[in-house]
Amino acid sequence: MRRLLLVLGNDVRRHLRSPLAILIYMAIPMVMTGLIGIIFAPRAEEAQLPPIQVLLVDHDKALASKLVLGTFDVDQMKKMFRVTVTDEADGRDKMKRGRASAMVVIPEGFTLDLLDAKTTTLTVVKNPAEQFLPDVVEEFVTTLAVMLSGAVQAFAAEVRGVRAMLEGPLDTFPWETLGPELGKAQKKMVAARAYLDPMLIRLKADETRAAGARTRFTRTDLFSIMLPGMAVMFLLFIVQTLMRDIISEREDGKLRRMMTTPLRPLELVGARLLGGWVMGLAVLLVMVAFGTLIFRAHWGPFGYFLLLGAAASFWTAAFFGCFHAFVRNRNQAGALGAPIILAFSLFGGSMMNPEAMPKAFLAVGVATPNRWFIDGAALVRDGRFPAASLAVLVLSGLVLTALAVPALRRRTSV
Amino acid sequence: MLEIRNLTKSFGDVLALDRFSLDLGRGEVLGLLGPNGAGKTTLISILSGTLGDFTGTVTFQGRNLFADRGLKNRMGVVPQDTAFYDELSAMDNLLFWGGLYDVPRAELKRRAAELLELVELAGRAKEPVKNFSGGMKRRLNTAIGLLHKPDLLLLDEPTVGIDVQAKVSILDIIRNVGASGTAVIFTTHQLAEVETTCSRIAIMDRGRVLAQGSLDDLVRTVGERDIVEIVGEFGAAPFSEALQGLAGDRVELLSVTDGLASLAVADTEEIPRIMDRLFRHKLAVTDMKIKSPSLETVFLKLTGRNLRD
Repeated sequence: MRRLLLVLGNDVRRHLRSPLAILIYMAIPMVMTGLIGIIFAPRAEEAQLPPIQVLLVDHDKALASKLVLGTFDVDQMKKMFRVTVTDEADGRDKMKRGRASAMVVIPEGFTLDLLDAKTTTLTVVKNPAEQFLPDVVEEFVTTLAVMLSGAVQAFAAEVRGVRAMLEGPLDTFPWETLGPELGKAQKKMVAARAYLDPMLIRLKADETRAAGARTRFTRTDLFSIMLPGMAVMFLLFIVQTLMRDIISEREDGKLRRMMTTPLRPLELVGARLLGGWVMGLAVLLVMVAFGTLIFRAHWGPFGYFLLLGAAASFWTAAFFGCFHAFVRNRNQAGALGAPIILAFSLFGGSMMNPEAMPKAFLAVGVATPNRWFIDGAALVRDGRFPAASLAVLVLSGLVLTALAVPALRRRTSV
Repeated sequence: MLEIRNLTKSFGDVLALDRFSLDLGRGEVLGLLGPNGAGKTTLISILSGTLGDFTGTVTFQGRNLFADRGLKNRMGVVPQDTAFYDELSAMDNLLFWGGLYDVPRAELKRRAAELLELVELAGRAKEPVKNFSGGMKRRLNTAIGLLHKPDLLLLDEPTVGIDVQAKVSILDIIRNVGASGTAVIFTTHQLAEVETTCSRIAIMDRGRVLAQGSLDDLVRTVGERDIVEIVGEFGAAPFSEALQGLAGDRVELLSVTDGLASLAVADTEEIPRIMDRLFRHKLAVTDMKIKSPSLETVFLKLTGRNLRD
């Protein structure tokens, strides 16, 4: 055991003294994640919907049309709509050029028709180039029309009074009749309030979301999803580099020299596998730390993530232990190692979102450590224990170790 | 201390060691001399435990060398390759390689510092080895084999490809190690190295020991005869044919190849007779040297080849 730890310590020291390859492999996922994040992630200002551009053409220019316009001007509506009053020709021109989501046309005589309880028409011209925003305007105007129609019918007598006010000269208007009419209107309003206040049904705005998930998808979320995939891909590259010593020391005579000492082949094999595991985990944790510092990525409970990282690193060390027991030389290891890692990463979801992957890829991906690590990391991010990923990585890692130890021992016994 | 009996090792059809036997005592420095392919490295590899599948026995300090792994603590090996970590310093390398033996840490540090002084690398102890010259690397390579004060030291061509200064330094170390009681076997191509360094010399070829003993013992095997080296434009067969009948007690044909022949003569008066025979057979001679008996002569006589062949 003392010699095993001595070899392990020496390997760590060597890689710390000559860390360039590992540093490059650690930097690549950070750079790639940063670049992809910059290109594809939503910006903070984009996280909130911009106001919907609405053109309003007022042919009526009377009380009811002012009421419609005023509705758009309420604070709450101002956040949703940006209304520009224009004439119809300019409005249609702007619509053609896609400058607005919808145009609302209030017809001439709109107010009088309402007061006379005649049918009138509000026109909503929608921008066909936009998907949802014109529908929002249409829904809003429909609701407004229903409310106006209901109000006019409920207050028909009062409306007639108003109609007379609008039509006749003010000096002949019978003001003495206004008091009782206002009194009736007040009673209707109180009665209506009884229906409306308190509301029996209240509406509460909410969003469907997974436990622990944030309300909005931000750039940080994108980093948090991407980084585990990138990290496990480069964990594979780094552990392969670390464990290439198995081959290179055989070629340059160090293995032969070690075997002239009391060091046993099994101790050397143990040191190599343990070294790949421990150094792989350390490198993974450094990548996590950088990811947190640079991208503010969130990983979930650290304990769970540590277990997942340890399992992934264990699997990787066992796999490359096996791999280096069977390849013939350094060149072969280099030529075969990179394609295997890239295939793992492609099918396992390190290179693209698994949800966007073809079914065949997903089926193959089950055989890769990337897939299990990424799935596990997603669970940990949501605060859940990655039991399935841990079980698969540890059990298959044990099988690989069982294959690697005797094969490496044979290769070590020069 | 070391008894090798009937060690035999084949690589396919090639017999690398053929019933090789040798004894080595405490403090003896044995120079193993032989041409390429003689089996020197095979012998060192078997003794150092890095080559298996052989027959024969090796007893070291009364115990089977290959059955008792603990004996590796008593053996030091200096391989032909400079096998250590270039990215580490000389001191780190010594501590690592020495650490693989059962040497207490404090003792190991003291020993590493001593050896760095001995191989004249103390001033660069903390520098990465990749900055060292070939000679410095060879000296470090040798020092690594000495860290645990072995009772038996095996060196496989420790002076290959280095400058004269480094070579002298390494040979000094080998002599001193022998003088301190360690048994040493070192292989080389260089006759001068064994002449100046070894208390005993073994000449081997085709996997067997052809002769062994001190330098004087070996030289005596070719007698007091002078060696005549003839260079010319002749084939080996016509040359041998020309001297037929002449060879006997007074003239011995040691070796002949196309254009080069070596003969041992009891007296330089034999030389005109040899020349006469060659001229009569129309064999052109372009150069001739007369040498006193030496290890080279012995080697030539035993192997029929020059060491450089």
